[in-house]
Amino acid sequence: MSLARLMATAWRQNLLVSVLVELTYRCNLDCFFCYNDLSLKGEPLSREQYFRFFDELRDLEVLHLALSGGEPLAHPDFLALGARARELGFVVRIKSNGHALRGELARRIRDEIDPFLVEVSLHGATAATHDRQTRVPGSFERLLANLAEVRALGLRVKLNSTLTAWNEGEIEAMFALADTLGLPLQVDPEVTPRDDGGREPLAVTPSRDGVLRLFRLQTERGRASDAIIPASARSADENVPVPTDKHCGAGSSGLAVDPFGNIYPCVQWRWPVGNLHSQSLRQIWQGAAGLAAVRELTTRAKGVVESHGPRGFLLNFCPGAAAAHTGDPLAVYPAALQRRELLEQVLAAEARRPLLPVVR
Amino acid sequence: MTDIHPSTVLRRRPDVRYRRIEGEAVVLRQSAAEVLVLNGVGADVLDLADGRRPVGEWIDVLAREYGADREVDRETVMRDVLDFAAEAAAAGLLEPVTAEDDG
Amino acid sequence: MSFGGGFLHHPDLFPGRRSGEAWGDRGVTLDVPGGPYRFSGLTAAQEEAVRRRFGGLCRPVVKEEGEGEGIATAVFRAPLADFLEIDTRGWEYALDLDHTPLSVRVAGLRLMARLDWVPGLAGGLWTSEAAGEEWTSVCENYLRLLAAYRLLAAGGVVLHSAGVTGGTEGSDGDGAAAWLLLGPSGAGKTTASRLCLAAGAEVLSDDLNAVLMDRGGPVVARLPFTGDLGSRDDGPGTYPLRGVLRLRQGPREELAPLSPAAALAALAAAAPYVNRDPFRREALLAVLERLARAVPAWELTFSLRADLWSILKTLSK
Repeated sequence: MSLARLMATAWRQNLLVSVLVELTYRCNLDCFFCYNDLSLKGEPLSREQYFRFFDELRDLEVLHLALSGGEPLAHPDFLALGARARELGFVVRIKSNGHALRGELARRIRDEIDPFLVEVSLHGATAATHDRQTRVPGSFERLLANLAEVRALGLRVKLNSTLTAWNEGEIEAMFALADTLGLPLQVDPEVTPRDDGGREPLAVTPSRDGVLRLFRLQTERGRASDAIIPASARSADENVPVPTDKHCGAGSSGLAVDPFGNIYPCVQWRWPVGNLHSQSLRQIWQGAAGLAAVRELTTRAKGVVESHGPRGFLLNFCPGAAAAHTGDPLAVYPAALQRRELLEQVLAAEARRPLLPVVR
Repeated sequence: MTDIHPSTVLRRRPDVRYRRIEGEAVVLRQSAAEVLVLNGVGADVLDLADGRRPVGEWIDVLAREYGADREVDRETVMRDVLDFAAEAAAAGLLEPVTAEDDG
Repeated sequence: MSFGGGFLHHPDLFPGRRSGEAWGDRGVTLDVPGGPYRFSGLTAAQEEAVRRRFGGLCRPVVKEEGEGEGIATAVFRAPLADFLEIDTRGWEYALDLDHTPLSVRVAGLRLMARLDWVPGLAGGLWTSEAAGEEWTSVCENYLRLLAAYRLLAAGGVVLHSAGVTGGTEGSDGDGAAAWLLLGPSGAGKTTASRLCLAAGAEVLSDDLNAVLMDRGGPVVARLPFTGDLGSRDDGPGTYPLRGVLRLRQGPREELAPLSPAAALAALAAAAPYVNRDPFRREALLAVLERLARAVPAWELTFSLRADLWSILKTLSK
């Protein structure tokens, strides 16, 4: 059975597999398009509350636990919580901006948390662009130095980026930089509104041409890596459509938690469905009306995407992003429609490529 | 390759993380950044590989479980379990517990 | 040492934006020159401590007007583990500042802060102190700096000085005006203040005073920040500025006019925090130049037996 099939089962049966924990909204950078809702107020979860929450996650047999923020390293109990997560057997991911990931702190992360992956944000291929987005001078040079250091320590690192109007001109150079560093780079083609609905981040929405260039580049790079992995090495049912009843696992196999204990179906979908100060996770998971509504909506979202035809999946539709863009988690927003259109273009060009290289 | 006998004591390697879904298991071997899916017997073996019980005890447990409702004989269970344990050890999921580990 | 290293365990984690977890949902507004200054994110104990320290200068944050009013500072939690343990015996405390065109970062005892021009001035303050005198100290140290920047932006300046006035009951008609005696710590501001007090004058503050540029000329505004002399909060808040004197202690009294350049240098040396900021130097010099042109400046050498107040009164004639 494939992983996709198992995940579909988790969606169908509401088996919680992945949880993202936003530990703090404190951050040592100031990214222009950050999605955090900084006006959010509340009592932060204490270390004991996190420990109890992690125990509940273990009892629910959660596999993946991501520590995020803000900058999670700035949380007072970051190392203790990470160590506890490791002890409980979660696959721990750390989503950091990488600015403080060096020296003693980096070494302790490796020794005490032993994360499966550290995901670090890259904002450009040059200091001018990266620092423009982070709004902290020197952050690019610091990041490069820190990446070298953490790789030497043996931490597994992946680079994450969001395509913006400011960095789209150097997207090729960003991939080249990632290659030089020997690190995978994942680029999200979409800037989303802030978690409170604020639209300021959209000021750096990438251009249509920028998104198209990214898709072409990703396709070319995908083809290059296909050439390295022979098709015979892939599992037989990888390409068989997986029967699912839902569009995604938001609120079914995944959850997100903010620093004040509010639970959301997904990091993108900021509809609170409960709060850990007043309820246990089990109560929320089994009883929350909001969560039931979200699950129902992800089922209906599947229909929405299917109504866009066999290539509806190219919308890469996200109900959370839809809710942020329009207030309606089922409304297909313009960025998704543009994505499908541009991916169609790229795939059509791919289909016209000769199967064998032409000898000239 | 590790030679596995009913008296061998195996445990999950520390970098192995897994969760069961519908009897099967999604397994992530952290050091190799590798995700595997194991069938029901494989998942049961991961549960049993606690570093205390020898493989022979796993066979007893699984023979009781599968023998009762599926009429699988103990010999077959033993062969499957020993084969799987050897494979899982070779794949870096399980490792033998030595006397030093105990001491 | 790079910024913050003298106070913080992880200078790398210094907040890059005004965000984090607030201590509570209380707020207070301080009517201090350059303000009002509005603090949010406080616990009840923090609010109470601020009220105890600043008394009548405090008023509640009115929710409806709260958002737009005054200079906002959001207060956030920082773990004690963020701060180095410092033995403060025999140690002179100075905030560590890092300047950029659009912000100032501040590290100090149990405090991290940042001022951002976005484009108006806004502040963030992170501390491990939830109540009591430690919190009050953190708050005051931050407010001193904030007021210095805020007044500069408003065309005024905070001066390290003793502010002396004859008070409203002065008999010679000059009583309502004030003098500023400039000097760094140890120059004799508190001593001079005590001598003037003994002679019947009033002292606004023996440490920090604000100067605002009014239409009629510079005026001194009382700041609630004092040195060894302690709290001084009698009388009105503002006085016309009669002149500035750079203090020097010596065996006998001597008064010499300062050249415009020397006056400017003395004023610049006495403008705390902002005089170390390369991105606000031009703005500071512009304010100080106006000030130096508007009022006379002298260097005053004085002894411990000096009748300072008489000298000042003579000068005003």
